[in-house]
Amino acid sequence: MRLASRIGAIEVQDPTGAPRRLGEFWKRQPVVLVFVRHFG
Amino acid sequence: MRDQIGSIRERGAELVIVGNGAPSFAEAFREDLSLDAPLLCDPERRSYRAAGLRRGRVEALSPRLPMNALRALRSGARQQGVEGDPWQLGGVFVIRPDGATTFRHASREAGDHPPIAEILRALEPGAPALPEAEPTSRLARSAGRVLGAMVDPWIVPSFDRTGFRIHSLAFDPADLDVSLDGRRCLVTGANSGIGYETALALADLGAEVVLLCRSAERGEGAAARIRECTGSSLVSSETLDVSDLASVRAAVEKLSTAPVDVLVHNAGVLPDRRVETADGLELAFATHVAGPFLLTRGLAPALAAAPEGRVVWVSSGGMYTRRLEVRDPNWEHRDYDGVIAYAETKRAQVVLAELFAERFRGTSVRVNAMHPGWADTPSVRRSLPAFHRVTRAILRTPAEGADTVIWLAASPAAGGQAGRFFFDRQARRTHLLPFTREDEDARRELWRLCEALASEASGDSPVPPD
Repeated sequence: MRLASRIGAIEVQDPTGAPRRLGEFWKRQPVVLVFVRHFG
Repeated sequence: MRDQIGSIRERGAELVIVGNGAPSFAEAFREDLSLDAPLLCDPERRSYRAAGLRRGRVEALSPRLPMNALRALRSGARQQGVEGDPWQLGGVFVIRPDGATTFRHASREAGDHPPIAEILRALEPGAPALPEAEPTSRLARSAGRVLGAMVDPWIVPSFDRTGFRIHSLAFDPADLDVSLDGRRCLVTGANSGIGYETALALADLGAEVVLLCRSAERGEGAAARIRECTGSSLVSSETLDVSDLASVRAAVEKLSTAPVDVLVHNAGVLPDRRVETADGLELAFATHVAGPFLLTRGLAPALAAAPEGRVVWVSSGGMYTRRLEVRDPNWEHRDYDGVIAYAETKRAQVVLAELFAERFRGTSVRVNAMHPGWADTPSVRRSLPAFHRVTRAILRTPAEGADTVIWLAASPAAGGQAGRFFFDRQARRTHLLPFTREDEDARRELWRLCEALASEASGDSPVPPD
């Protein structure tokens, strides 16, 4: 399965705690999606 | 990477950062780095796991760590306190609006960052899409088979996440390099968990997918999510309560107007007390046995009309503990135990897969059963909260649980199989304990019971056991 489909539906949170779906970020433009090891 | 935001935006792209700490830490992280890009939190690391990113103490504490840290310091990075999972590794992907991936880097150790020039190249117009699955060598697959055989006698590590990692070493990624254009797939209980992941994957491979769900609202919500993720318009939902024979009959009428290429029996329930359905059946028996039987029977002509119809029964490893029960399947003469009712009906599904495979012999329809291992699904959380609390850290993701369902439904590699029981893409024994073996009479009685119910619900004559 394509990565975009695999992770697109996953709900994450923005810094205010509001739910966001990863897939919405590459709907309009390409994204460089960086998974960091941890904050800090 | 934050220094490259300008270069990324010059190419019409956006930088999006995901961390695995809590939202409160994300804000501090953003302020510390003066970051002007979307910042997201995934404390449960679901996206990390789905993206295939590594996690482990050995990798996070690699011998090259001091060198990598020095390199990071030289480039201006300053490590603050760790907020999130210290053993999780990161990665970088470039994803286009059409869903193609043009760059992929999963860190092998702490501080293993990809060259920025390669990322920027992947943003250029015409950058080629990468194949989704990285090919694995024959040697790695052989090693996976050997390791898999070593863990197979155990439940842990085998049914758990580690078991999937070990077994999946032997998978051939080319197995699912397939287009399902023109195929029509039906998945019951598809609004969450393994059913949802199955529907999502089949849609991603180009199939028309109908989600069959008890709740119209949840079914349509899931279908909309899949349409959004895959860009496919061929995903819809229909209301079906598989425990209600009238609802199954209505669904058969609606769905049998066109060939059915794939039927996945995934809907499941683990009742905490005996519940009787409108048909007078115990709920687990109705949901796992009577309803799916009627659905398969009713859709048999539509399955046979497809070039290669496939039926997949999503059973459970719990069925290994029970023998086929045909004397009191509705729990009228026993003290009710939901876990036993669940395991018995999951055993019945494996037997039904074998019986239907025999019935379909001579046609192009293939029927198989599988078990997904221990997966972290909403159903497990809801029905087995204590089990979930204890095993949470080692449970498979729903996508990992769904892998063998998808493989059986879609892969040419699974094409010739019928009447078998699979786990992690391998046919397995259906009995591990001698006392669970059923005799031929019990198998015939199961068929007779199901046929009696189905013929009454359909208003036709029962088909006798062979």
